[in-house]
Amino acid sequence: MALCLGASGLPALAQDAGNTIKIGVVAAESGAFVSAGHTLPAGVGLAVKQINDAGGINVGGKNYKLEMVKRDDRTDIATAIAATQELVRDERVAAIFGSESHDFTLAMAKITQPAKVMHFAGNSTLGKVLTPEAVKGGGENHYLFQSEPQEFQRSGSTARGVLSLLEPLLGAKPKKSVVIAGNDATGQFLSSFYITALKAEGQDVPDIIFYPPETTDFSPFLTKAKSYDPDIIHFWYNGDSTLTALPQALELGAAKSYFMFGVDPGIWKERGLTADVPVAMSCVPICWGASSNPGSKPYFDAYFAAGAPHGVTSSVSLLYHDYVHFLAKAWEKAGSFDPDKTVDALMSMKYSGVVSDTLAFNETHQVTHATEVCAAAPGGDITCSMQQPPEKAPQ
Amino acid sequence: MEVYEHDRSNTMIKSVSSLRSLAPVLIVLLLLALVPLFSPSNRFLSLAISAGINIIALYGLSVLFGQTGILSMGHAALVGVGAYTAALLARDFDIGFWVSIPVAGIMAAIVAAIIGIPSLRVSGHHFVIMTFAFGQLLTIILTNGGDFTGAASGLDMGKPVTMFGADLDALPRFYLLVVAFVTVSAVASWAIIHSSYGRTLRAIRENEKLAAALGIDVGRHKIGAFIVSGVFAGVSGVLLAYFLRHISPGQFASFPSIYLALMVMIGGARLLLGPLAGGILVSFLPEVLNLDPVQSRILYGACLIAVILFLPNGVIAGIADGWTWLVRMSKRRPAAGNVSEVGR
Repeated sequence: MALCLGASGLPALAQDAGNTIKIGVVAAESGAFVSAGHTLPAGVGLAVKQINDAGGINVGGKNYKLEMVKRDDRTDIATAIAATQELVRDERVAAIFGSESHDFTLAMAKITQPAKVMHFAGNSTLGKVLTPEAVKGGGENHYLFQSEPQEFQRSGSTARGVLSLLEPLLGAKPKKSVVIAGNDATGQFLSSFYITALKAEGQDVPDIIFYPPETTDFSPFLTKAKSYDPDIIHFWYNGDSTLTALPQALELGAAKSYFMFGVDPGIWKERGLTADVPVAMSCVPICWGASSNPGSKPYFDAYFAAGAPHGVTSSVSLLYHDYVHFLAKAWEKAGSFDPDKTVDALMSMKYSGVVSDTLAFNETHQVTHATEVCAAAPGGDITCSMQQPPEKAPQ
Repeated sequence: MEVYEHDRSNTMIKSVSSLRSLAPVLIVLLLLALVPLFSPSNRFLSLAISAGINIIALYGLSVLFGQTGILSMGHAALVGVGAYTAALLARDFDIGFWVSIPVAGIMAAIVAAIIGIPSLRVSGHHFVIMTFAFGQLLTIILTNGGDFTGAASGLDMGKPVTMFGADLDALPRFYLLVVAFVTVSAVASWAIIHSSYGRTLRAIRENEKLAAALGIDVGRHKIGAFIVSGVFAGVSGVLLAYFLRHISPGQFASFPSIYLALMVMIGGARLLLGPLAGGILVSFLPEVLNLDPVQSRILYGACLIAVILFLPNGVIAGIADGWTWLVRMSKRRPAAGNVSEVGR
């Protein structure tokens, strides 16, 4: 037992062994979160391939190839933790991307951060733990980065985009909105910001209606929403549930228009969905089915050509793809894989990615970029627009 | 004097016999404690720790289900009570692991009593449904508990486990800590099973009306068993909170409860090795067979049907029965051979 206790110290930190640098991915490739989960390895894998095909990265005068080591967390926190332990301590990865679940990411960060492993996650809920105190040198989350904008920014740009795109389709400025959101960690967190953003845009929001995450019959929630006679019902989270709820809402005639968060117009087209009222959609961060972003088509052509399926949330892959490139550039700039030097390099750089020409991390390790919102007219025409985020959080 | 000697030898035989049931568990746990010496992967250790934490709760569930015949489908919620107690004590009172263990055990026992008193007025399927409803209710309370419970985001556990000034956060150390707690749980479960209290619970399990006719306060003892199982669950929750370092309501909802019930049914609730086998089997099967969650659930369902049909007392009891049958058969064969020899 004493031997065991003695042999249990932390392993050496991630080192550049040979000419290959390992990048870990922990994501739900099976289980309840698979829809968003499969986009992580697809996005990271594409970036790794692009970097390697271009000759790899040059760090400190030596050339390195990247290798993605992915692990399926099976949408189970114990498996996610075991996978992270394996990647950090056995595989000695230099960076970890994931997971798509806020809870899992927080628990994973308890392993990656003491081990000084660079950790990127596209959970806007990380704002709670990415405080100035936590991210400073020696802080508990110094190596943790949020690859999704702060929630007030994403909510602000989404609300602005939804209202501006639906107004001409409705023929009048929408005034009353009801939000229907999933009652889980992400739903609670996101919707609180979205309500504030809607109110900041002058909307009357009489109610937010939470539904249990496993809900398939939305009629009680929609009936309640209908009683407010809203101009827009906002299905704020999540995309898969929203696609179940919308046909029921259309059947009930619950509102004059709808908004579906996190549903790509590509899915709308592929499934042949139609509505007799305007329906807005948003992507995280840009859409593949229809887009006003010039970088969208070449990226998604390559993404789908690599074998990734057309998904409701395929765009989530961009919360990871760009940051593999960004990290590679940071290593080159730092001239080292030393995590502290890498953080310094990341914080001093701007990167031109698919999502934005000026990707950069702020002082709390969070990015800022626009969000794409699209709207389908009753005739089927889809219009999209990139919406810039507000500079300050509305009160 | 002769009668006294006879009683004493009877007692000794019983003690030796009951110790014999504990010995295999202790041997297995001793072997498991040696695992870190073979430098297993950190993934293996991490999964083993998760399995061990479940097994502690399973020993409580085995007292409830195996000895008293009551199945709880909300046991993960009691684990949650322990986990949230530990996280709140650490956050609000700066209280660490070792004090959290008894406090969380008591808290889970109190909650079990609160649930048990109204629930155990009913029996059978109704009790199962009530415990299931309790699990759901707790999840709803935690999800909507605002800043106090961290709402749906849950709570962080900032403190590490320390012992004599040493940090036990490293996986091999935490693994040994969990093995130690599993050992204590197994011994506690063994002590309950072989006490007069255990015999009383078994009398209730076999025939409630007869037990009541003999003067046993059935209701009080059933609630007592639920409370005892709650203590195990509370301790398991503390270890879970300190292992994951972040807890949220989803970890204590209906599916984890169903998995706990599944583990104890597959492993077997009446033998001491049952919870150990059930916890290890259910935790490691998806890993060993590389199954996704859907395939795992299909396999668990098939296993459960097979166990109910062919091994109603669980896999371990089935193996023990099979072994006994083999031994008996091997003893009969030479005897049968002798007969044929004589016949010849």
